[in-house]
Amino acid sequence: MKQNETLTSRKKSQLSFFFKGVKIIFQFSFFQGKKSKKSRLFALLSFAPIAIALFLRIHQVLSPERSFDGLYFFNNAVLLFIFQFLILVLTLFYGTSVCTEDLEAGTWTYLVTRPIPRPAIVGGKYLASLLLVLLIAGAGLIISFIILNLEKLDDLSLYSYLFKDLGVLSLALMAYTSFFTFLGAAVRRSIFFGLIFSFGWENVIQYFPGSTQRLAIIHYIKSIIPLPSSSRFSFLTFQLEPTKPVYAVFILLGITILFLFLAGVIFVFKEPRAED
Amino acid sequence: MKPLIVTHHLSRWYGNVLGLSDVSLEIGPGITGLLGPNGAGKSTLLKLITGQIRPSLGQVFIDGQPVKGRAELFFRLGYCPEQDAFFESLTGWQFLYWLLRLHHFSEKKAAERTEEMLNLVELGADGHRPIRSYSRGMRQRLKLAQALAHQPEILILDEPLNGLDPLGKRKMIRLIRDFGREGHLVIVSSHILPEIEALTKQIILIHQGKVFAQGEIHEIRDLIERHPHIVSIKTPNSRRLAALLIEKPYVVKAYFGEKETNLFVETRDRDKFFEFLLEKVVNGEIEVEEITSPDDNLQAVFDYLVGKP
Repeated sequence: MKQNETLTSRKKSQLSFFFKGVKIIFQFSFFQGKKSKKSRLFALLSFAPIAIALFLRIHQVLSPERSFDGLYFFNNAVLLFIFQFLILVLTLFYGTSVCTEDLEAGTWTYLVTRPIPRPAIVGGKYLASLLLVLLIAGAGLIISFIILNLEKLDDLSLYSYLFKDLGVLSLALMAYTSFFTFLGAAVRRSIFFGLIFSFGWENVIQYFPGSTQRLAIIHYIKSIIPLPSSSRFSFLTFQLEPTKPVYAVFILLGITILFLFLAGVIFVFKEPRAED
Repeated sequence: MKPLIVTHHLSRWYGNVLGLSDVSLEIGPGITGLLGPNGAGKSTLLKLITGQIRPSLGQVFIDGQPVKGRAELFFRLGYCPEQDAFFESLTGWQFLYWLLRLHHFSEKKAAERTEEMLNLVELGADGHRPIRSYSRGMRQRLKLAQALAHQPEILILDEPLNGLDPLGKRKMIRLIRDFGREGHLVIVSSHILPEIEALTKQIILIHQGKVFAQGEIHEIRDLIERHPHIVSIKTPNSRRLAALLIEKPYVVKAYFGEKETNLFVETRDRDKFFEFLLEKVVNGEIEVEEITSPDDNLQAVFDYLVGKP
């Protein structure tokens, strides 16, 4: 009985030690990340959806005779850009750097010689990267949504789309960042392989008919994107044979947990290369 | 005294390259110098002790506990890497503060300790400048500060005196010695014998991944005394100096380099030789532009130990 209690309390203290480590690494990585050149550069990229929204608005002003459905354009131009390009680029560069940037810079030593379990380093850095990409991509999404729906901002039902889109964005960023964190930990030249995965695999497999499209992460993301009207053509639903939203959410969460766990395991055995 | 660090038949390969071979050591409190030429395996041994890399064979224990997978051991251990790597976008203050936070210090305590440490390593006035603007000496001091900041019991320093000017070296040596005097365990690696000599009497001699000798420095000194030191002197009065030196019983040989201003002297008594040279310089008899003593003839000692002629 006493032995069991001791074991339980030891496990509890180990868990609290782990989560304390995650928290401190998260704070440190986020502090560094928000000041980094990389974040400034990618923050500029987040202006691209805003530029698309502005372009559409200007076009509407110049051709007032044509009808303008802000939500339709938001789904077919802004969301398309965000989900098919922006988040892939963001998560690729942030995710792959979780396990590699300190190793390459030589600052890895300062992290692994602290009283912080190695998987907690991965967890903390992953969360910091996730928050950064969420801020970058989320800002673009919110501002462009407002620009395209200026005349309907008093319609509260509109905001349910925005919140759902932000929810899908968060899930997508979680899954992709986790996958690329794993890729960065597992292979060298992870950016190269990440680019092949993002713009080869993900962009092709999603249009395959039947269950093949379920092998792409983007399939599950597209399955839960809220689309206002099914009567009009949507690029995001082109060739999509959607998975049930509940399953899609669980699969995205599963992908996040699985690849993050694998990245943590690999990082435990990670060492600087001999020539370093 | 009970050894705090114990290694059992520790070996490490990097592919086909041997980094460390069958090293068994017991290291107790006080300062221990890890001496060996570049590429001898010093950094590999220190990285194995600190659990940064895993041994191919053997084990490392700190205070009876295996190092592998025990992050909490780092509460008791401070490590100063050889590599000149920093989070370059941070200031010196932020660097120390965050590394203390990673040691589970509260915000307030980390800030207080950061100020203390910056003052201790004489960086108080430069704390809020970015690290990328620091000189080599300042960066070395900052590295030492991060290793000492959380008041560890065990301090492991990989070539901490590299790239420091003589004054910087003296200050750093004083800091390390003060820490060692408090009864802590300190391991300092270097490839320069006088640096280690200034720090401790206890040394471990390492070469080609193997420990060749462990013990009091005078034993190593004795070995070195039997092997002449080569000192290179750049002087416009090389012929005159050669004539003066060749009469001395402790000078084995004196010869000129490619340029006549470069004089090479082989001596069996380094101290007497430098005493003589200093006297001549102070009296204005000889003008010296540069003196170098490459590796302090460590290689000769290693060659002797491995039985090379």
